[in-house]
Amino acid sequence: MNSGPTHLNDDVWVIVPCYNEGPVVRGVIQRVREHFPNVVAVDDGSRDNSAAEIAATGARLVQHPVNLGAGAAYQTGVDFALRDPDAQIFVTFDADGQHQVEDVVAMVHRIREVDVEVLIGSRFLGSVDGMSTSRRALLRAAITFERVTSGISLTDAHQGLRVFRRSFAQILDLTAHDMRWASEFLTRMSEHQTTFAEFPVHVRYTDYSRSKGQRSINSVNIGIDVLIDKVLRGR
Amino acid sequence: MQWIKIPLIIAAVLILAMVFRHRQRVGLRAGSRLLVLALAIMAVTSIIDPDIPQGLANVLGVTRGTDLLLYGLIVVFVLTSLGLYFRLSETEQHLRRLVRSLAIEEALRRDGPPGARRSPPTRDPGPDRTPDADGT
Repeated sequence: MNSGPTHLNDDVWVIVPCYNEGPVVRGVIQRVREHFPNVVAVDDGSRDNSAAEIAATGARLVQHPVNLGAGAAYQTGVDFALRDPDAQIFVTFDADGQHQVEDVVAMVHRIREVDVEVLIGSRFLGSVDGMSTSRRALLRAAITFERVTSGISLTDAHQGLRVFRRSFAQILDLTAHDMRWASEFLTRMSEHQTTFAEFPVHVRYTDYSRSKGQRSINSVNIGIDVLIDKVLRGR
Repeated sequence: MQWIKIPLIIAAVLILAMVFRHRQRVGLRAGSRLLVLALAIMAVTSIIDPDIPQGLANVLGVTRGTDLLLYGLIVVFVLTSLGLYFRLSETEQHLRRLVRSLAIEEALRRDGPPGARRSPPTRDPGPDRTPDADGT
């Protein structure tokens, strides 16, 4: 399982979902590709020049003809990377530049050493720049929500930087197409009793990423949808 | 006999005919369809002779026959709405799967399978594709 040229990171696939990130996506992917040769960017039906910017980086481009949502974009990226029989480690990485490539390098290094299937980045074990107090409080509430609904206890439940092994990628099968994917990811972990650990990451919110981010009120929609999913699935 | 009864009866029969004609497409569940049938019969009988549903309502402990009709209608409405909601989300799920696999196939066709020993793409993203990709 651990065979292969680890130092080249040839067995790592970085999945970058992208929706209207034209101004930054090229720089973000170029920085990732300095460390990881295999990058698949999923253009989720962007209306700007994202696809052209991605193509210019040399990363693999998968284009949704229509906008499907973040969860669908992640799943497309995972499905695509699974087509590579040598792919062993999968990374989800945001296209808006809030994540640091150095964190990915450290996380990939860690998952090769320890025997866990999933490594979840945590802003609260690491550091966050530019996050408002209200946002922080909301995320705290979300952590409690996830602890109650999925039974998985994390310090940061809705964080897009995650590293996982092929075995978990094969069972992931995200059906939640929107921001619920982060919750469904955890549900899948609890269903399969996946081994996991958290890892401190450093997230930098810029004016750009803030302007692109979720409105806080949308967490109400996401929360209710997650509960409905639980009820329907529970039958 | 009031003349309003004639268009009302025709409307009820037409609704019934439409429900059964489009049973494949609309895909109403059997329970909901039986309720529709019962409602249509009730509608026709109550139009012809209001005493019949009134009698049924009295047996069931409902004050008026029209109230009984209203309750039945609410049940049918809720069932149909729920059925349509589930059907719609199922269709959306299918559509997403279709679009996702289409996108992957397209990417494979364009640049080949992923991770083929880091071989560069067969054709470079050169000047021939930038103009149409922008679409500005």
